[in-house]
Amino acid sequence: MEFDKKNLLKLGKLARISIKDDKLDSLGEDLNSILKFVDQLQEIKTDQVDPTSNSLEQKLLSREDIVEKINEAEDVLENAPEQEMNFYVVPKVIE
Amino acid sequence: MTENLTIKQASDLLKNKELSSKELTELYLKNITEGKELNCYNYVLEESSLSEAVKSDERRASNSLKSDFDGVPIGIKDLFCTKGTLTTASSKILSDFIPTYESTVTQKCKDSGLISLGKLNCDEFAMGSTNKTSYFGPVKNPWKLKDSKADLVPGGSSGGSAAAVAGDLCIASLGTDTGGSIRQPASFTGTVGLKPSYGRVSRWGIVAFASSLDQAGPITKTVDDAAILLDIISGHDNKDSTSSIKEKENYSQNMNSNVKGMKVGVPKEFMSDDLPKSTLKAWDACKDLLKSNGAEIINISLPHTMSALPTYYIIAPAEASSNLARYDGVRYGLREQGENLIDMYEKTRSEGFGDEVKRRILIGTYVLSSGYYDAYYLKAQKVRSLIKDDFNKAFNDVDAILTPSTPSTAFEIANEPNDPVQNYFNDIFTVPVNLAGIPGISIPFSNDEKNLPIGLQLITNSFEEQKLLNIAKNIEETVQYKATPEKWWIT
Repeated sequence: MEFDKKNLLKLGKLARISIKDDKLDSLGEDLNSILKFVDQLQEIKTDQVDPTSNSLEQKLLSREDIVEKINEAEDVLENAPEQEMNFYVVPKVIE
Repeated sequence: MTENLTIKQASDLLKNKELSSKELTELYLKNITEGKELNCYNYVLEESSLSEAVKSDERRASNSLKSDFDGVPIGIKDLFCTKGTLTTASSKILSDFIPTYESTVTQKCKDSGLISLGKLNCDEFAMGSTNKTSYFGPVKNPWKLKDSKADLVPGGSSGGSAAAVAGDLCIASLGTDTGGSIRQPASFTGTVGLKPSYGRVSRWGIVAFASSLDQAGPITKTVDDAAILLDIISGHDNKDSTSSIKEKENYSQNMNSNVKGMKVGVPKEFMSDDLPKSTLKAWDACKDLLKSNGAEIINISLPHTMSALPTYYIIAPAEASSNLARYDGVRYGLREQGENLIDMYEKTRSEGFGDEVKRRILIGTYVLSSGYYDAYYLKAQKVRSLIKDDFNKAFNDVDAILTPSTPSTAFEIANEPNDPVQNYFNDIFTVPVNLAGIPGISIPFSNDEKNLPIGLQLITNSFEEQKLLNIAKNIEETVQYKATPEKWWIT
């Protein structure tokens, strides 16, 4: 795929990043260059290979079910740009 | 006596009462003020470092020290969350973020009595290899080209961490390494940089970039200091499910620099005509050095080496696009006003992220998106298996692998290439190590004809940090690299 104007704007929507008009050309150029670079992997045969998502060969551990006081509401909300009555405030979603 | 102190030297001075922790901390705060032009620190903890130093002196007086290194001042990469202290990841989107919790690594440092001088500049969200993507501007390398005043990059992403150690603006520092972000700047600044095995050090409370690759580690003046800091920061952590339950070792006490009978592999794929002659010369000299110290040098092959960089530039952006989805203007960080919720997200993220971060989020979103997932992300995960397998096979025959750390020495800030892919090549020798999850260390070996440090990289199998440090120590003892940059920033 080529990152033309239409595709870039769609990708920006997916990533929730608005892309300014004057950035479209240079961004498209950069992304095309990166994509061309990573495309070389297509030449490697991997039919019989399992994927690695994490290099640590360790099963997930279980822990004692003990209540700990972490992530208290006050701490969690401390850095919210806007909050009210122990809730995050966002622009109106439902009319 | 008090210049370019190591952790060992500093703790001896404290122990022998030749200097108090307060005096030591004042000395480094002065160095930081004088070195402001290097732009190493995003945030200096003038008051709290001094009050912590006073407390350390009190502990010393009452024989209640937290560790042998109580009272030693260090610097912390601005990617570690520190309770009550600004933590920005060098990004506009987090430029006023003050965490309500402390990362496991920095908590362990506090528990050992280490004193934080402040938060060190880095590439934005640790994405970059020149420190130029920082919202707070580039860090300047303390080293200069012979006969030139041009400012050089310190490498990245832990550029501030490396430059601060090289310029003596701290005794040692903490960095993070996702694709070379500790080892590459260490190489560019003549310092020692250690990336531990994936899982050796807890990632809890570190601003996440690519979770299957990120590891924290030390940047120091000596191999001994790297062992000391690794002793302090490593170990299992319940809060990080990917931290290893393997018992940690006592690295600094078990240090043994004897390499007799060790087998050190040299991979042919790292050899290239594009490498500077001085780097090749240093690499050869190191092989000879190890041989004369009793090690055996063995030619090996890591066939998928050249696929590591494209693999990394699929996996790391994919994980980044997922990790950075949290910056939405709702829970913390910057918020831009929008006409509706979606508009607010898009404006916040467009305004808050820099260009390189946006590029990586977009590429990551693309390779994970419907219709492209198998062709890119799954493909890269499979090639990652091949890369890991190459190392597994190699370690059947050798104890360690020796390579250059970087394909060049430091370059001018003004000469950074515009093409992002060109920049990615800075990490060509370090990235395979992260993909395989194994430990690597960069140590300074010599200076090139332009008087810039050349770093060499040692690699061992997973959780063989002791062996890694031992061999590094052997090289360090033999070469006696003592070069330090001229302090041109002091007028």
